[in-house]
Amino acid sequence: MDGIVQLQRQLVDYNASLFHEGFLDDQFNQLQQLQDESNPDFVVEVVTLFFEDADRLLNELTKALGQPSIDFKRLDAHVHQLKGSSSSIGAQRVHRVCISFRNSCEEQNVEGCLKNLQQVKHEYSLVKSKLETLFRMEQQVLAAGGSVSR
Amino acid sequence: MGTNCRHVFDRLQSFATCWKKNSTPTGRRVFHRDVEKEEFQYASTQCLSSYYSVFVVRLAIMAMLAILIGLLTFLTWHFTKIYTTKSLNSLAYDLRYELLQRPILRMWNILNSTSEITTAQVKLSQYVIRSHTNLATQADQVEMYDAMRAVTWALFASKRALNSITVKYKNGFVQAFHRDLKDNNTFYIYSDISNYSMASSGYNEINSLSPHEAWNDKDIHGNKSAIWYREPLDPVSGEKIGKVMPIAPEDSINIAGLSQVPDGVASWHVAVSKFTDSPLLSAALPVWDASNKSIEAVVGVTTALYSVGQLMKELVELHSGHMYLTSQEGYLLATSTNAPLLSNSTKPPKLKMAVDCENEVIREGAQWLQKTYGNNSPQSHEVHVENIKLGRQQYYIDSFFLNLKRLPLVHFKTLHLLLMVDLMCNIVLKILQLSKEDQVGVIIIPRKHIMGQADERAFKTLVILISASLCIIVIGCVCILILTNGVSKEMKLRAELISHLEARRKAEASSNYKSQFLANMSHELRTPMAAVIGLLDILISDDHLTNEQCATVTQIRKCSTALLRLLNNILDLSKVESGKLILEDAEFDLGRELEGLVDMFSVQCINYNVETVLDLSDDMPKLVRGDSARVVQIFANLINNSIKFTLSGHIVLRGWCENPNSCSDDTSFSLEEKKSRCSQKTKAKQHQNHAKRISNRDNKMKLWFEVDDTGCGIDPSKWESVFESFEQADPSTTRLHGGTGLGLCIVRTLVNKMGGEIKVVKKEGPGTLMRLYLRLSAPVDASEQHCQADFANKGLVVLLALQGNMGRSVTSKWLQKNGVVTMEASEWNGLTQTLRILFHARSSAQNNGFDANYSIHDNLKSKLLSIQELRNPVFAIAVDIGLLDLSTDIWKEQLNFLHKYFGRAKFVWILNHDSSNTIKMELCKKGHTLTVNKPFYKTKMIHILEAIIKERNDELPKKNMTPKARLKEGNLHESLEIDYTQCDVASSDGSDISEVGSSKHVSVSQDKQREKIVRSNPPSQHQINNFVELTNEYMEDSNPTKEELCQSSLNSNDVTANVTPKSSSTKQTSFATVAQGEDSEYGETRKVSSSSRAVSAKKSLEGLRILLAEDTPVIQRVATIMLEKMGATVVAVGDGQQAVDALNGIPGVEDCRRESLLKERSTRSSQTEILSYPPYDLILMDCQMPKMDGYEATKAIRKSEVGTGLHIPIVALTAHAMSCDEAKCLEVGMDAYLTKPIDFKLMESTILSLTRRTW
Repeated sequence: MDGIVQLQRQLVDYNASLFHEGFLDDQFNQLQQLQDESNPDFVVEVVTLFFEDADRLLNELTKALGQPSIDFKRLDAHVHQLKGSSSSIGAQRVHRVCISFRNSCEEQNVEGCLKNLQQVKHEYSLVKSKLETLFRMEQQVLAAGGSVSR
Repeated sequence: MGTNCRHVFDRLQSFATCWKKNSTPTGRRVFHRDVEKEEFQYASTQCLSSYYSVFVVRLAIMAMLAILIGLLTFLTWHFTKIYTTKSLNSLAYDLRYELLQRPILRMWNILNSTSEITTAQVKLSQYVIRSHTNLATQADQVEMYDAMRAVTWALFASKRALNSITVKYKNGFVQAFHRDLKDNNTFYIYSDISNYSMASSGYNEINSLSPHEAWNDKDIHGNKSAIWYREPLDPVSGEKIGKVMPIAPEDSINIAGLSQVPDGVASWHVAVSKFTDSPLLSAALPVWDASNKSIEAVVGVTTALYSVGQLMKELVELHSGHMYLTSQEGYLLATSTNAPLLSNSTKPPKLKMAVDCENEVIREGAQWLQKTYGNNSPQSHEVHVENIKLGRQQYYIDSFFLNLKRLPLVHFKTLHLLLMVDLMCNIVLKILQLSKEDQVGVIIIPRKHIMGQADERAFKTLVILISASLCIIVIGCVCILILTNGVSKEMKLRAELISHLEARRKAEASSNYKSQFLANMSHELRTPMAAVIGLLDILISDDHLTNEQCATVTQIRKCSTALLRLLNNILDLSKVESGKLILEDAEFDLGRELEGLVDMFSVQCINYNVETVLDLSDDMPKLVRGDSARVVQIFANLINNSIKFTLSGHIVLRGWCENPNSCSDDTSFSLEEKKSRCSQKTKAKQHQNHAKRISNRDNKMKLWFEVDDTGCGIDPSKWESVFESFEQADPSTTRLHGGTGLGLCIVRTLVNKMGGEIKVVKKEGPGTLMRLYLRLSAPVDASEQHCQADFANKGLVVLLALQGNMGRSVTSKWLQKNGVVTMEASEWNGLTQTLRILFHARSSAQNNGFDANYSIHDNLKSKLLSIQELRNPVFAIAVDIGLLDLSTDIWKEQLNFLHKYFGRAKFVWILNHDSSNTIKMELCKKGHTLTVNKPFYKTKMIHILEAIIKERNDELPKKNMTPKARLKEGNLHESLEIDYTQCDVASSDGSDISEVGSSKHVSVSQDKQREKIVRSNPPSQHQINNFVELTNEYMEDSNPTKEELCQSSLNSNDVTANVTPKSSSTKQTSFATVAQGEDSEYGETRKVSSSSRAVSAKKSLEGLRILLAEDTPVIQRVATIMLEKMGATVVAVGDGQQAVDALNGIPGVEDCRRESLLKERSTRSSQTEILSYPPYDLILMDCQMPKMDGYEATKAIRKSEVGTGLHIPIVALTAHAMSCDEAKCLEVGMDAYLTKPIDFKLMESTILSLTRRTW
């Protein structure tokens, strides 16, 4: 029982740290609140969707930026999508980088775009690993028979 | 050259002016910023170029003018001069010619007559001689001589111009008539006849072959030996009048001898006699004998040329000038002057050359002629020379060659006689050939005589013309300067205008930058604020917090929210300044908003020892339409301002309504009340005016507000300027109070935007009185919402023991107006006295009427009387906790004292925020459960009174009260509680929280209540913060109910806890839509049980069909789940095209797939009956999508709707957070606007408001 409590505590702490460090924001809370008996894996599902989407978009972005003549409009559209989906799951650091990315796109600043792409990738991988860890911990708690309190 | 010079000068001048104009404004604008300087340089270069062009134009015009006028002048002068000169010249020529012609004609006449006379003499002599052929005797000879004399005399007398006629006979006898022109004597000269015999005839024969030589010898000899006589004659009759005088031969006159006719032909010569000073023209002809073989005699005729000179003189006198006549060789024959023609220096006299003439002019003229033409002047060449400078004057010189060829001596022509120089007179004359008997007439006329006037006039004309043209040029230049001055001025203005435009453009650009900057900054600031709030929410949700901590955190959270709102306000200001602010139009509870505001500020005020009072008149509509956030912002700014400057006293927020539709007694009363309070006479007038104006618009009403403080006040001179941005009444206050001076600016902008006005009004006493009115429209049923409990006949007596004078008097007035008897006490002693009076008097009144022992005021007396009249009075005593002496332990005794009256009166305790828990616990222990927090205002009073009345009503049937009824009552209390919760917690955040919170709380936590109570710490059960407890009925019950009480209080705590996380997401909530929904539900709260309400809230979207167009799968999924949670049926599509297709009943393949997917996912929910033919109730439309974006799709949908009368609500989902996107969304036909990330409640309320509208 102690183990479960410890696990739960860890989970809560970790969750809080994610918010503290600004990886996640209120939107993620909302997502968690949306999860109920009818959609038990809602958060995981959405986040997985986000990962897929983001992977695809990042690929696209890398490709687009690698080309000799850069189609900034398309780039912007991709970043916009990424921004939308990241803000929807509450990955606010990704979201914020996306905003500056878009600014670079509007200025047609290739260097800035590349820098921002790197940053987005970095933030994305960070948030991905964090979220994966979080889910793993939740799984552990659940597996141990505890409940994930929100 | 002159124009050139002027050119250069003008250019220089233009440079100078340019420079001057350049330099002066620079000096003027030296303080301005770099941008403007730059601009100015730009403008100045423009100016310079324009000046150049102007000056070039000026120069061109001037040059043209000068050329034109110069040309005109020259041409005028030229033509006048040339033509006059020409005509004058021709005239002068004619004159000269004429003048010359006349002496020449005279000359001609002289020659003519001379020759005629000569010829006549010859003929007569021949006749006479031939008739006396045989001169045998001396007598015959004498007779012949006499005949000759008579004939000659006749001829001589007939021609008065003749000088002499001589006849020299072969034998040497001489007969001559001589006329001395000087003394007008006439002489007859003859030789001694005795010396001449017929012997000479011998010579004749001898010399017949060579008569010439015979004559010569004879002459020579005869001349030597002969004696001549001269006898003076009467010039007319020819009679001898004097003595005969012997004279030397040839002494007086020259006698033409044979030598002069050597070949027997006529000869001409010019001779000089010693008696006259003028040359003589003499002609000689031989007289032949009958046989024509020998010369009998020689006839000589001399004519003086004197008359020619005379004529010349006359002419010259008339015409001025000089004339002279020379022979071809240059000897002067006649002059117009009196200069002698003969040189006296030589003996015998000799003719002078013209070049030696004594008269200067003639001499110089002759010299000039000689110099120019030399000696061999061309024959028959007339000289006409003008403007010869002789001496100091200019002259015309004309010379004519007078050809004497046509002399009538035709028959002499062939003779070619040489004019012999008369040797006797030793006059050496150049002998002229007759054929070349040319004479040269020279006329020298001073130019002045002919052209004098003309020259003078020409010169004057020239001068006048030149000066006139100079004047014209000067005037023209001045005119051009004046004219172009206007042009250049215009140019200058234009340049300035251009620079101003430029400056304005820059200013606008910089303003745009500013707005952009503000927007960016507010974004950047909002992010950390959001983090702060989020962290606070986490903190609040932590179960381990004590209640104090929780309260503190809640307070921090409130303040954070306020800060966030402030940030939003800064963004608003930039919006307002750029004119982009759009006011919302939604219903909201004005009273509650203001109460919340006062609550918020009262905390701040307590620190300052300032009382915050809210005084809203009863006629204020409960619900109004407008932008609640902005209204609150207005008052927040105003009150904030007041608090800053008010150190002690009160801040009153008054509000009343001016509605012409409901001008009941109430209104007028309240107005009068205000009037009397403020003693503003002008106000009534204003009211009337405004009332008139407002009657035009029936829907809108005018709400008047006053913010009255007792601070330091504002100087009247600054009453207007305090509303300017960055303007503060006293600059030093910045140091003291901080602030930027933006607040009042925002207020005024907002007030104006709401159709109102704000101004500072004069006030009695210290402090500031800001008065403003807003035009807000009330819902149609607004008048019914004056939720006015009727306390009039309930027998209520309220004793207000409050510290703050203002609040007390306001409350008391309001209560009295509503028929409640009130009494006031401001401090502890007053309270005790009043209590004593009240209850003792009452008891005494019950016993034996009024007790006169108590000295009481009349006022109090009348009140007591009115109390006595009440049948069953209920006493409510509102006691300010501040009345108790909290510094020592005396308060406990005071409490005990009051407790004595506990049974007889209801105590309402008014607590401070910082009232200690011990007091609260003590109160709780004693059963004083009616507690409210400061500030104490109308709504709270109403609730308290309602509770008291209800309690009293319940007291009677209390014994047989059914549990159900009790439950109901409990619910009521609960709802009241909730209401206060809301007032405390949510008022600054938005009123929607309470609803969600309460529903949440009720639905979720009800089941777990028990468990929670068990878990929570026992001591905390009694620590009841911030809530009014109306559960005094429980107090009469035993512990279990007490526990229930605690539970309910815990619940309310829970509410706070659960609500607050939500509130963080309500930053951008539109209050109005929610307020509408909330209010209706709020009404329900009292009747419907909470559980059923919760259900209704949970599935608020039950039965709605929603089409979701969203391309990002994540958002799509989230939104779907959210909507499904609310009970809606969701169809998701991937882009705008699909949305349009889906709406038209042609779901794409992907749609089907998605739908089936959805179906799979939500089999448990009621979503199975998704229809392929969807009459959607609403569309959620992402703005940026592939293929067809939201705007396009909306346009397409709206287009297809035209004519069908349908209007499907479309809600935009966009990640663009700026309001311009909202405008764009609304423009294309969308109905509402949600920003990503999607906010659960906001979405719900938006959807509800839209779908409700369509129902």
